[in-house]
Amino acid sequence: MTSYSKEVISDLVAGTLPWPQTRRIMSAYKDDDRFFKYVAVLQDRVGWKDPILLPVGDHLFICQSGDERVTKCECGHSFGDYRKNWKLNASIIVRDSEETLREIYPNSDLPDPDWMEIREFICPECSTLHEVEAAAPGYPIVHDFQPDLEGFYRDWLGKPLEPLIRGG
Amino acid sequence: MLDKPASALRIRERLIESERLMDETGCYDGITELKLRNQDPLKFETLHTKLRAYCVSAREMARRISASPGVREVGEMVVAIYTPEGDAIALSNGIMVHVHTMSRFIKWMIRNGYEENPRINDGDIFANNDAFIGTVQVPDVIDVMPIFHSGKLVGWAGAVCHELEAGGITPGGDVALAQERFTEGLFVCAEKVGQNDELRRDYVIRCERNLRMPIYWVLDEKAKVASCIDMRESVKSLIDEIGLDYWMQVSKEFIEEGRRAQLARTRQLTVPGIYRGHTFYGHVTAGKPGYQPLGDPDWLYNMPIEMEITSDGKIIMDFEGTQPWGYHSMNCTPAGMDGGMFVTLTQHMNFEGLVNDGAWMATELKLPHGTWTNPDSEMVATATSWALLLPAYGVFQRLLSRSFIARGFVEEAFVGQVNSPMIEMGGTSQYGKLFGMAHFECAAAGSGALAIKDGLDTAYVGWNPESDMGNIEIWEQNMPMLYIGRSIVPNSGGAGKYRGGCSFLSTWLVSKTGHLRLVTSEHSSRVFDNGGLCGGYPAPTCQKHRAVRNSNIFELAEKGTPLAHHTGTNPYRSELEVRLEGEHVTLEGPYITAPHKTGDVFTHSYNGGGGYGDVLERDPVKTAWDVENGFLTKEAAEGIFGIVLDEDEEGFPVANLDATKRHRAEMRARRLARAKPVSEWIANERDRVKAADFAPEVKKMYASAIKLSPRFSRDFSTFWNVDAKSTFGVE
Repeated sequence: MTSYSKEVISDLVAGTLPWPQTRRIMSAYKDDDRFFKYVAVLQDRVGWKDPILLPVGDHLFICQSGDERVTKCECGHSFGDYRKNWKLNASIIVRDSEETLREIYPNSDLPDPDWMEIREFICPECSTLHEVEAAAPGYPIVHDFQPDLEGFYRDWLGKPLEPLIRGG
Repeated sequence: MLDKPASALRIRERLIESERLMDETGCYDGITELKLRNQDPLKFETLHTKLRAYCVSAREMARRISASPGVREVGEMVVAIYTPEGDAIALSNGIMVHVHTMSRFIKWMIRNGYEENPRINDGDIFANNDAFIGTVQVPDVIDVMPIFHSGKLVGWAGAVCHELEAGGITPGGDVALAQERFTEGLFVCAEKVGQNDELRRDYVIRCERNLRMPIYWVLDEKAKVASCIDMRESVKSLIDEIGLDYWMQVSKEFIEEGRRAQLARTRQLTVPGIYRGHTFYGHVTAGKPGYQPLGDPDWLYNMPIEMEITSDGKIIMDFEGTQPWGYHSMNCTPAGMDGGMFVTLTQHMNFEGLVNDGAWMATELKLPHGTWTNPDSEMVATATSWALLLPAYGVFQRLLSRSFIARGFVEEAFVGQVNSPMIEMGGTSQYGKLFGMAHFECAAAGSGALAIKDGLDTAYVGWNPESDMGNIEIWEQNMPMLYIGRSIVPNSGGAGKYRGGCSFLSTWLVSKTGHLRLVTSEHSSRVFDNGGLCGGYPAPTCQKHRAVRNSNIFELAEKGTPLAHHTGTNPYRSELEVRLEGEHVTLEGPYITAPHKTGDVFTHSYNGGGGYGDVLERDPVKTAWDVENGFLTKEAAEGIFGIVLDEDEEGFPVANLDATKRHRAEMRARRLARAKPVSEWIANERDRVKAADFAPEVKKMYASAIKLSPRFSRDFSTFWNVDAKSTFGVE
């Protein structure tokens, strides 16, 4: 069975593994023990102790926080119950004018702000830009991912999660 | 004796039986156990690899027969081997989107009584380019030939080439101006076009008399027939070696194994749950010559996608909430949607090569009737369906990528494909002859970023994993235009920790012709038709076209004055305007104008890919390299990424790490100062939504989605706490 050390997974996730080695990992049969090594790497990276249950973005994690399961920023800021859309508890910058769109697209033709706006969802504490939506004005904010967390741990990983004592 | 010998049933009954067995057992053709694989796994794998080798070799041979630079240079071809019922067993590389569209074509003939009339005999050649029977668009012409052994139908060999000219209302293959089926070009509808291994002369004459450049289509036909015969003979020799009964069983086990492998891979690489995303596409044609007033000239489509990964590993893609079909060339049939799914899966999850229709069977598409994904009229045009397919499957790639990131397979996460704007052309060639051609250098867009590195620059398209822009000299042989530039477009990849791959832009001098029609398609207007992931921005994919008519380029060349080789980086005054005199044109939407002539200059820009991650985490050293090599500008490095660059003694950019750190700290503080809570934004925005205070095209988009989709209507109402129907006047 293919398996890599935690150090290799750590470099891979950080984007610092040399390309020939990365290429070999991409081409090889996948390592079935990846998930928990990956989570361990991320757990070492964050500055808090709540166990990470599932990464859902580059710096966003569902974690066990006391009796609750919440979506958390890498800085420790909680966006609340993981089953709810974290974006609704984020901060937002909307680019809906030529001036603000031009800041990101300095030399290309721009969208018509009457047809499309760029929405940036950021952490209100550390300002990390977690997600960008390009949407028509008035388009509801998307709930990107609703994982079947319990089913994943129970049926796919064979390690059922502890039942929740209370909501979240 | 094996369980399932070559069936005595007629093939139509066999197809129905096969589908019934799949329904009853959940396994392909009722194969609940991979007996031959278990008996001798090595023999099983060797045979499967052999079949793939037959396909790859047949395709390479056929490419040498073709006259089309699309097939020869860019590889716009795929071949595959099928079961008698029309399920793909093995396939070549190339435009794999068609592996399943060919399957639909074969099944269509079987269901429609082709055994009785026109009959299916050894040596017959059947062709099709009707998307409602089984292909994506008119230029994708399929040829299939039955494989007989010992007097029994034992399979099919099939081949597709993308034709560079289809004889439609506008020249080229992707007929941009087609608004109904009747203007899309030459249709061949599941027709027997040859017998005894030879194309019928009357069919060839029809092609010769209905196409602007028949040499491409006709020689591609010969190339496809040659590849089918090659695969057929290889399969027959293989059956001589392994026996007919073994073949009939093993070919089906390959497919069932493919189905199981796909389910297992989904369970291995992803996380079950619901994933959502969307993208948009804008079309602007008001006032353009040639468009018939059949529908709104300007429109906006939304493409929401909900993907479910079930606990058994099935991937279900649901397009509910998207727009109705329209009088344009971008509609797509279920065959095309299947094709999009198949080609995406082959790249993202079945990368070891031994993929077949089994992978497709482990997925499900929900295509709402009446939408562009599943039109309720077979008269709609699909000539440029990639315009919507590519953005839609780009969303699929981002949804899959989120699942890879969740599971830890970050090296597989990929922000996805973008549209590949095409130029079609026709008129009088540089040789003084009638010509028509699709320019296929679009087969080399920038890719979306990965979760661990930048995207590929000018080296990826979704529809052909063997991306290639072709050599300039070959294209110049085939059209009355000369390249005066082919350049990377700086900042054309979506910004991010890892940027999207950059696009390129070509600049041509129209040469040796008094009549060149240029038509473009598959590019969005007024909206980006792609996205970023995890904080990355979408790539800027709503480029306009720029041209100069009656330019003074020959005078400048004679004087040795510098020419314009690209449009430059000033969005308000292009290099063409700076360096050339003449009638300057900047055109939004499809480029459909009066013919060009010698001395005119034309530019066309392709697309970069979306970015990944927060821009303020981008590596400063890598960024200095990007600036040095023209992928980013220094202004973008500082203004978007917060990276301060100095110059070394030779004038090359060098990252100033301390200044970058300070600058980024300021930018982060500015972000926080500028941002507001989402709840506050929603409260303010709700007033605008309640008043439906949107552009007419946006209002129309909402009204259509609300009318067609109860779920969209409900979600919209819930999110904004409004009554969606009354807000947009939907009955």
